[in-house]
Amino acid sequence: MTSTIQTDTLVKRFRKVDALQGLTLNVPEGAVYALVGPNGAGKTTAIKILMNIIRATSGRAEVLGIDSSRLRGHLLAPIGYVSENQEMPEWMTVSALLNYLRPFYSTWDTNLEAELVKQFDLPPKRKLRHLSRGMKMKAALASSLAYHPKLIVLDEPFTGLDPLVRDELIQGLLDRAEESTIFVSSHDLAEIETFASHVAYLEEGKLRFAEELTTLANRFREVELTFDTPPTLPQQPPKNWLQLNAAAAVVRFTESLFDPERTAAEIRTAFGEPRNITFSPMSLRSIFLAMAKSGRDSA
Amino acid sequence: MNQVWNIFRKDARHHWPEILVSLAILVAFAWVEIRSWGHFDPTLDLTFVFARFLPGLVNVLVPLSWIFLIVRVVQGETLVGDRQFWVTRPYDWKVLLAAKALFVLAFIHLPLFLMDAFLLSRAGFHPENYVVGLLWMQLMWIPTLFLFAFALAAIAKNLPQMLVVVLFVVLYIIGLVAISQVVPDSDYSPGSDWWMPVLLDGTAIVVLFLQYSRRRTGISRWLVAAALLTFGLIVTFLPYRSLILRAYPVLPSALPGEFTLLPPNNNEGTYLDEGEDVSIRLPLSLSQLPKDAFVELNGMIATLTNASGFRWDSGWKGQYLSFYPDQKSAELSFEVKHPLFDKLKSFPVSLRLLLALTTYHDKNQREFVVPKGKFSLPDVGICSADQRGYWYSIRCQAPLRTPKFLLITSEMAASTCLSKKEIAPIPGLLSHGSVRGGDSDPAEMGISPIHQVDIYLSGWDVPGTHIQNPGICPGTPLTLSNPQAIGHSRVELQFDNLSLTDYQKGGGRIVIR
Repeated sequence: MTSTIQTDTLVKRFRKVDALQGLTLNVPEGAVYALVGPNGAGKTTAIKILMNIIRATSGRAEVLGIDSSRLRGHLLAPIGYVSENQEMPEWMTVSALLNYLRPFYSTWDTNLEAELVKQFDLPPKRKLRHLSRGMKMKAALASSLAYHPKLIVLDEPFTGLDPLVRDELIQGLLDRAEESTIFVSSHDLAEIETFASHVAYLEEGKLRFAEELTTLANRFREVELTFDTPPTLPQQPPKNWLQLNAAAAVVRFTESLFDPERTAAEIRTAFGEPRNITFSPMSLRSIFLAMAKSGRDSA
Repeated sequence: MNQVWNIFRKDARHHWPEILVSLAILVAFAWVEIRSWGHFDPTLDLTFVFARFLPGLVNVLVPLSWIFLIVRVVQGETLVGDRQFWVTRPYDWKVLLAAKALFVLAFIHLPLFLMDAFLLSRAGFHPENYVVGLLWMQLMWIPTLFLFAFALAAIAKNLPQMLVVVLFVVLYIIGLVAISQVVPDSDYSPGSDWWMPVLLDGTAIVVLFLQYSRRRTGISRWLVAAALLTFGLIVTFLPYRSLILRAYPVLPSALPGEFTLLPPNNNEGTYLDEGEDVSIRLPLSLSQLPKDAFVELNGMIATLTNASGFRWDSGWKGQYLSFYPDQKSAELSFEVKHPLFDKLKSFPVSLRLLLALTTYHDKNQREFVVPKGKFSLPDVGICSADQRGYWYSIRCQAPLRTPKFLLITSEMAASTCLSKKEIAPIPGLLSHGSVRGGDSDPAEMGISPIHQVDIYLSGWDVPGTHIQNPGICPGTPLTLSNPQAIGHSRVELQFDNLSLTDYQKGGGRIVIR
């Protein structure tokens, strides 16, 4: 599978702060790729480097096969970019914005534009400065989708939006997901879980992991073991067991490399035969919390 | 082109209030300009306001409105910051720059061009004969104002930031002026200014390129700061004296006359100077000048030494004196501080004068009798001879530029103003007036293409006399000529055993003895 975005040990230093510390990413074509992480993790910095808004201190990034530092002018035509803190021409009406941007794109689809305006319920005559935050995001998204971009880059697009608007935006995106690669950053895992195909976790400028969401969901399980008497916890549990803890005769941990047979075998090796074993699937949020907490504990 | 037009239309739609204000100010300028051509009597307040105050005001407002317009349109797609929506859109930087240039062309250059054509027409000239000059005037604004406004707007994010930048530039200019006051010889620097536009315009172009093509604001701001610093350093450390000496070589054959220091002009010696500076006035005569030549003093250094070996040097000072063949004397002056004067006044001093001179050949002499009413004065424009205040002179409207150099010579006895001023004629006494523009460009820089030129005759400097110049009235015969510079040279004059008090003239507070 070809890559739409590729970064290689990307570093960005702001004076004494390392915003990105060697980010290496690979976003496959057609993916809905979520870059998640807490505030200040370096998500926006990474996206700004990808969009050639700022320059990397070192490392390399390619977007649609082009060195991101060369991304300007017509090379931006196949990319749609929407950011939560983008400065829009607030004096323009929605229709003036769309009319203005139309000639910049040879692939602009007026039918799609009309469809998006209708789908997002945008008021064409209203100035952007008079729109709510959610409506502004919708206008920005409509103006970034109407030309069938090959890549849609969204930086925290859903922050501060009410659930209804968020669902409308996600639906608008998903309707175009077949023709585009979507790269979206967010610190809200729940909203990403519903539509992302891939996820990468960034923390303090470092990539903790990056993989397909289904793979991630398959390899993480919440494990609960019930014993007849309180067991002794192993001195050195397997490294793929996160947050191992015991409460009376019940032991719980998060398995990060779940395989029914291998995990069961490891349990038997560590504890003997438990009375009961439960493997529960985990939400993305639970997975990240487990990882974040175990990372903090080990640190 | 489609994108240029698209961005241009968007800017025009967005900035129409600023455009309207700018156009209104330009219309006001034209209105005031036309009224300022009329006659005014300084004793009448209203006409004085029209003649002096309003032109000054609109002359400032017009470029300010242009700067404001440029700043607004450049910052419509601000180049500073990382949040602008347009930076991730397929804008080609050359297209964006072209669109901004088109905006300036449409809403600054075109209205100015049309207004200038209208003003020419109102002044009685045919605009179609002056198209090249009008275009040249437009062009001149680019390196002198628009480029800088563009470049500074490109490194400021918004209007408040731009105001900070402007404030910084104003403070910088004030600082530079203050520095130049104390830099020796910087008062007069012939032909050494070519580097200024090269440095400043060059920097502005590089900044625009960097900002539009790469948005390298940090580097651009450093470049501007470095250019201003370099400018200041050059102004401070330029070897002015060497440059002047090179521009005015010692050529004994180049000076067709001989300088003599005349006795002090005692008719004004009844003043006691109590100001900070003492003005030393030296009446000089230049004899043996050929009839068709005259000499202009452009600059000088005065060096004073006394018997105890004390030495003082004035540094190069600009001087604007002419020596004509018929002229008895001309008075050059320099200033010394009071303490220095007090130190030197009691004993004889030696004075060394180094004079930078330009010798002219008075060419193309022709006779001209001033007509009544409006008349066309060749090489100048449309003129009329009238009384202005207490002067009888000629006022002309010159199209595009003042003449390069026009010399007017008049014989006092032939002046038709004599009867009006009840002055007794002195046969053979000549007086001169001159009009000169800067260079040989097709037009002078300015907002208006009409240059108001006042031609009046200077007074006479005959030691021991006060002779009033009757001026120029209809019927006064004049000799017009176009002097041509033959060459620059410098001469050194040495005068010993001078008493400075003899040549002292009042300045500051004057007390009559």
